[in-house]
Amino acid sequence: MTALLQHIIDALSVGSTYALLALGLTLAFSIMNLINFGYGILLVWGAYGLLGLTEAGLPFGVAVILSVVGVTLLTMIIGRVAFRPFIGAPPITLLITSFAVLQIVQYAAIVAWGEKPRIINYPPAFTDVLHIGALRVPLLEIITIGTAAVVVLVYFVILNRTPLGSKVRAAAELPDMTRLVGIRPGTVQMTVFAISGAIAGVVGVLWFAKSGAITPRSDLEPTLKAFIAIVLGGLGNTRGALLGGFALGALEVLMSVTLPESVLGYEPAIVFAIVIAILILRPSGIAGAKVNPA
Amino acid sequence: MNLPISFQRDRVPGLRGLAGALVGPLIVAALVCLVAWVVYDSFPSMQIIVLLFGINLVMVIGYQLFVGSTGIVSFGHVAFMALGAYAGGISAMSVTEKSIFLPELPGFLANLELPILPAMVFGGLVAAIIALVVAVPLMRLSGAAASIATLGLLVITNNVLNQATALTHAPQSIYGIPEVTTLTWVLVAVFAAVVISAIYKWSPAGLRSRAVRDDEMAAEASGIHMLSARVWPFVLSAFLTGAGGALYAMLLTAFSPQSFYVPQIVVILAMAIIGGINSISGGLVGALLITALNEVMRRIEGGSSLFGLHLSAPTGISAAVLGVALILMLRWRPEGLFGSAELQLGRDDRRKPESWKGQGLVEAPPGPAVKSNK
Repeated sequence: MTALLQHIIDALSVGSTYALLALGLTLAFSIMNLINFGYGILLVWGAYGLLGLTEAGLPFGVAVILSVVGVTLLTMIIGRVAFRPFIGAPPITLLITSFAVLQIVQYAAIVAWGEKPRIINYPPAFTDVLHIGALRVPLLEIITIGTAAVVVLVYFVILNRTPLGSKVRAAAELPDMTRLVGIRPGTVQMTVFAISGAIAGVVGVLWFAKSGAITPRSDLEPTLKAFIAIVLGGLGNTRGALLGGFALGALEVLMSVTLPESVLGYEPAIVFAIVIAILILRPSGIAGAKVNPA
Repeated sequence: MNLPISFQRDRVPGLRGLAGALVGPLIVAALVCLVAWVVYDSFPSMQIIVLLFGINLVMVIGYQLFVGSTGIVSFGHVAFMALGAYAGGISAMSVTEKSIFLPELPGFLANLELPILPAMVFGGLVAAIIALVVAVPLMRLSGAAASIATLGLLVITNNVLNQATALTHAPQSIYGIPEVTTLTWVLVAVFAAVVISAIYKWSPAGLRSRAVRDDEMAAEASGIHMLSARVWPFVLSAFLTGAGGALYAMLLTAFSPQSFYVPQIVVILAMAIIGGINSISGGLVGALLITALNEVMRRIEGGSSLFGLHLSAPTGISAAVLGVALILMLRWRPEGLFGSAELQLGRDDRRKPESWKGQGLVEAPPGPAVKSNK
């Protein structure tokens, strides 16, 4: 029983990280057809920002806020400079563009921080472990689940309760009509980049608290996880993306518990094989709903 | 000057047209290979770069064969390169070396010791067989979903190669592959790849593939089987890429699964897209340009003086420069330098095509995008 509870908490925590990753990507797809290969590198930049600011002596909380703001701005700049000229192009052109953007932003990280792995000094709240009876719950898991809940809540409030959010939802549903009633596509796109970037900033803080060292090439794993989650949930479907993230987390924990040692190494292959199978059997994802940003 | 050559998207009908269309890309290949040969001969320090360039030509032709025929941008071809490199490399390794480095190899592989040409074919065949197995499910997908699925193929292949230590010695490098790749073999491979690719392109099967690429519904309505129009270019392309991988293995002699992963995609992608994804001639020229660019960047990484300016940059700048080149190209000339045009022998008697526009990725045919759920 305790073991089961332990696994459920693990799965929720891993799943909420993936759900946030997917949330940051999926809105850009429903508004702009953008599947961002360079999403993981935003996390990396956020983590480097946090590293630099904490090393400069700023309190951790302030550094987190500043780094999230920094990643948001970086995402908006990249979006304005690199992606906006391609909006309206088929998804594949944007996918290649984002792959090219990744090469550039990654090189910037290499120049700025070097190839050597770096480690952020997280406060004890991120590393302590809570003991409840026989249960061992790392505080980081609780922080992750809590943060995810807050971010998702804020996301839905922004999209459903603010004028800007209505514009974004309108643009996702009827892009041409939205233009006709005088909503500028540029405003909508920049809002989407800002939301996407802010989420990347938050996930970056959580991701590297768990995985430890940052290198300029740590971006691939989060990007792949995010791709898997949005494919599982159905491209462009926000609720699906969240569900896809949690499903991926549950799947990973389930596999690590049930698979024999000898097969465990093949976990990434198995996960991707499942993704491809889902792409083929249910192209609209496990949620299978229409495009729905909120 | 009135040379009997032309640039056009479609070939002139008839046998003479076919011959002209086959010779055209061969002329481009000959010119590109001539450049390679001159550099190889005059700068001994550049020999390895020229050999790698030749191998990249094979890769680009293989990549172009698939992407040009189907319009699906693959992020997974590095997987075929890896499969070809391991299969070809292991098959070429001497039996004694194998008993030292890979003692757990299954019997038939342990006793195999092939010369370079059969090893290349073996590498290509292994990649092609895997491609055939995965193509049937994968090629049902279109657009960005297909691209993500090919990326998945790369992740799976990398994972399996890393885990299959008995076959690959991973995660460490594999050693002991004979260094037998020579300029002659590389050039033979390049020309063979061009011939295979051009024959496919102008064959009825190739035409069917491009029909599905341009308008899936109309093609299917005229009786073209969508799946086979995509599966065969995929398999053929995997064969060429695998053979190129085998050549690569027999040049470098030591590598690990990490030598074939996501960072390696950008080079082939940039070569093919900058040259013109729908053109064999374009791919060849694109490969030449990107290799030259890469070489300049490599010098800058090493620190060098250019026009009195001292330049140096941390490793990895070539990927960033390729990124910039890709974005500029997609922005200003998405169809690539050559568009869909192919150099052909024989004058173009017909009306000129209005423009190359509309052949690039940006204005690609409407095809069912992933957003079919909208």
